[in-house]
Amino acid sequence: MTRLPLLKGTLDLLVLRALSWTPMHGFEIVSWLERAGGGSLELEDSALYQAVYRLEERGLLQAEWGVTENNRRARYYKITAAGRSHLRAETKNWVEYAGTVTDILTAAKSSLPGTGAS
Amino acid sequence: MIRAGIRRALSLALRRRDRWENEVEEEIKLHLTLRAAQLMDEGRNPDDAYAEAVRRFGALTESRARLIEAARHREARMQRTEYLGDLRQDITFALRTLRRDKSWTAVTILTLTLGIAAATAVFSAVSSVLLHPVTYPAADRVVMVYQQPAKGNNTGINVTISPSAAVIRAWKTDAHAFEAVEGFAQSDLKLRTTTDWVDVHAARIGPDFASFAGARPVIGRVFTAAEITTNRREALLAEGLWRSRFGADPGIVGRAITLDDSTYSIIGILPADLRLPRVGASTTDVWLPLDLRNDRAGASVVARVRPGMDATRATAELDSIFARVSAEHGERADFRAVVAPPGRQVSFRDSLMLLGYAVALVLLVACANVAHLMLARSDSRRRELAIRTALGAGRSRVFRQLLTESVMVAFAGGALGVFAGWLGLRAILAASPSSLPALTLAHVDYTTLGAALAVTIVTSIAFGVLGAIHAGRESTNEALKSSTQRSTTGRGRVRQVLVVTEMALSATLVVGASMLVRSVANLQRANLGFEPSGLYTVRTSVPRGHFANNAERGAFLRALETRLASVPGVTSVTMASAPPGWWTFSVGRLEIEGRPAPPPTSTEFIRVNRIQHGYFGVMRQGLVAGREFTDTADAAHQVIVNAGFAKKQWPGESPIGKRLRVAQQGTEPWLTIVGVAAEAATGGPVSEEVTAPLLYTPAADSSAAALLVRTARTADLLQPVQALAHAVDQGVTVKVLSVETGIADAIAEPRFVTLLLTLFTVLGLSLAAIGLYGVLGYAVAQRTREIGIRVALGATRTRIARGVIIGGVALAVGGAAIGLAIARWGTKVIESQLFGVARSDSASFVAAAIVLLATALIACIVPTRRALAVDPMTAIRND
Repeated sequence: MTRLPLLKGTLDLLVLRALSWTPMHGFEIVSWLERAGGGSLELEDSALYQAVYRLEERGLLQAEWGVTENNRRARYYKITAAGRSHLRAETKNWVEYAGTVTDILTAAKSSLPGTGAS
Repeated sequence: MIRAGIRRALSLALRRRDRWENEVEEEIKLHLTLRAAQLMDEGRNPDDAYAEAVRRFGALTESRARLIEAARHREARMQRTEYLGDLRQDITFALRTLRRDKSWTAVTILTLTLGIAAATAVFSAVSSVLLHPVTYPAADRVVMVYQQPAKGNNTGINVTISPSAAVIRAWKTDAHAFEAVEGFAQSDLKLRTTTDWVDVHAARIGPDFASFAGARPVIGRVFTAAEITTNRREALLAEGLWRSRFGADPGIVGRAITLDDSTYSIIGILPADLRLPRVGASTTDVWLPLDLRNDRAGASVVARVRPGMDATRATAELDSIFARVSAEHGERADFRAVVAPPGRQVSFRDSLMLLGYAVALVLLVACANVAHLMLARSDSRRRELAIRTALGAGRSRVFRQLLTESVMVAFAGGALGVFAGWLGLRAILAASPSSLPALTLAHVDYTTLGAALAVTIVTSIAFGVLGAIHAGRESTNEALKSSTQRSTTGRGRVRQVLVVTEMALSATLVVGASMLVRSVANLQRANLGFEPSGLYTVRTSVPRGHFANNAERGAFLRALETRLASVPGVTSVTMASAPPGWWTFSVGRLEIEGRPAPPPTSTEFIRVNRIQHGYFGVMRQGLVAGREFTDTADAAHQVIVNAGFAKKQWPGESPIGKRLRVAQQGTEPWLTIVGVAAEAATGGPVSEEVTAPLLYTPAADSSAAALLVRTARTADLLQPVQALAHAVDQGVTVKVLSVETGIADAIAEPRFVTLLLTLFTVLGLSLAAIGLYGVLGYAVAQRTREIGIRVALGATRTRIARGVIIGGVALAVGGAAIGLAIARWGTKVIESQLFGVARSDSASFVAAAIVLLATALIACIVPTRRALAVDPMTAIRND
């Protein structure tokens, strides 16, 4: 299985997505990403924390100390309203962008400009 | 205390820093533990699992540092965001509430604006003219040094003497109290152009003067000491003249110019902003070398005191050096040195200080008014603030809110005030008489801006705190319960005290202003003892060396006099050594025959006026006894004295035939008094009786300084006189001055000061009236219910009105009484400015009382009408 390096900026989006259901601590987010991506995403664990701090700084996340199931202190991250709308907008962008790129890359030769009869 | 505070802030910052680090560490540790646990679940052995966890995390040391840095950044940014958010919220909220109370906001800002504008305008002038008139380096240590007669100045005029060159040289080398001593001298010269002669202001300076003043030549260089001693004729042009007359020619160095009878070669250009340290001096056009080897010529002296040196010691050192030099030259050391900041010699210093006091009072009245307005506002907002507190706004948040509002109001007032003050200063300068050239230095400087900022900050904090305290005094519960059923007597008293204060301050201003107004009226009506209207002085000016000797000059004057007499409109012409506006002195001992002679060590400055026959006729100055000279020959030794002196020396006795003389060697001939001239105030009205001697002696043509021309109508003499002078002698230019204008200039300053003081008084009084109106209006509003009940119970309109008016008048009377009491003592500051008005002038006090009462009654009108309009039904129902 090939591991996909993350495109710039997409990690932020994935983190927001992870937190869009429920607040999680760092390792939970990492595990979620691994499960959701089927292990195909190439990511150093520390990069996740960088992303989380960045998002918190921008007011898209909020952090709070809580306790895990095993009674350990952990920093839980929660998406903010600003985070949700950011996620919505960026997801839409991403989907459109990816769709367009996919269309172009997979298009039949005839529809390429300059070669067909248009 | 401050240090403890700083330490606390630091340790807080440190602790916070620790906290991020710890948090990041904790997060990493948890992550690694959980990851290792996960890996062990997948079947790895513990050591292996942990190593793998670390590997997946990424290079641990670097990533930890990176994460801590990211966390720090995050915290700082979030704090800032939070703070800015709060601030924005405060400002938005403040804007909203201020907009809601438009009239309150407008009145408050306007009040502050007026107070600060008046203060800015006058303080700018005080600061830039009196406090910082020179812009030299270390200006606070720059002093003017001059000498005054140690004793026996009997002229009634403040005599200052320029130290002689020998003394300045000695001071330069020996006076250790000073870092530097520089001499300078001013003279008006004529610059030869291709077609004509142009008047230029020249200054003579030493080689170090420019660097003393912090200036460097724009082009070229300054004189060297060697050049001055070898008497090279070299000149520096001022930038202004270089631009206007020489087209800013960059190759000017080396060119020659002719000044009077000498030719100088230009060695450089000095910048336009280099000015002599004399306040109000005309700008210099040409800088020439000052030769201090010439022992006879004196010069003005400016010096820079060593840091920490006090004036008394510096003066003592100068005096002892002067005594030594005088002894070396076999002269008596009859002068003492005076060391004074350049602003000390400003002629209208007293007037400016007086205006300064006046605007300080206006500013106080304005602040009292703002205090009022703040109180009124915090009263009316009590409920709103209580609700906000009840809804969970912290005390500090509410306080911050109030502070934000007062800061915004104060800064709006401050900014508008400074702007209005700047406009005001421009208006003052535009309206100022030309006889106050020093005032042109006035500008809004940094000192003033700093002071205005300080006032604004203090005002905003003080009133914010005041409002918060007042709003916070009552418990939330109380305030919420009811809006009208509370006792406000305490607060009412504070306001009454404020209004009484305002009234008192205004009363002081009104007393001062009315005294000055009366004084100016007296000045304008004053009997001068001669007739200035239609009288002109004609002064001639020629390039130096134009006349070979005094006789030649006398012949020219005589010829001009003869021709002038035939100019249409001219009724008579004479000559004098001291025409109006001038003084000439003899130095010596005044001896009166038959009286004990003054000790030979004493020296006096005695005013003399060498006049020609017909002088008193042309002046329209009467003789109170005797007659004019019967014999103008020197050998006749006749003299006419002034009436004040005669009255003092020979009370109840005729001075005619008495003899006196000005003794220097003691061998001078006695002069016989043949007449007593009425006292003539040729320099403008004087308030004290003159007893100092003024000796009129007959004179030859050559000693005359000017021609005196009496005209039948106020004709423009300049053109015909200029033409005549040219006809007699090509090289002569004349200056024609109207004596009437000169006298008007002399009283222009008091007139101007009075005008300004009156303006400030009106301003202060209006503010006080607004304050009184506010208090009465507030009282009526508070008592609406009570008034309603009283009307319902049958109180007449007169009774209601009387109640309001008596309240207002009582405050005004209280304020006026205090103010008049203060004024009795405070008028000291204007005593020196008064002419023919006593400091205790009862008319001024009565006038002030009347003005204050009238103002109070006007302020009562609206509140009274409002009280009368109270509808009993609505008032009682409305709670």
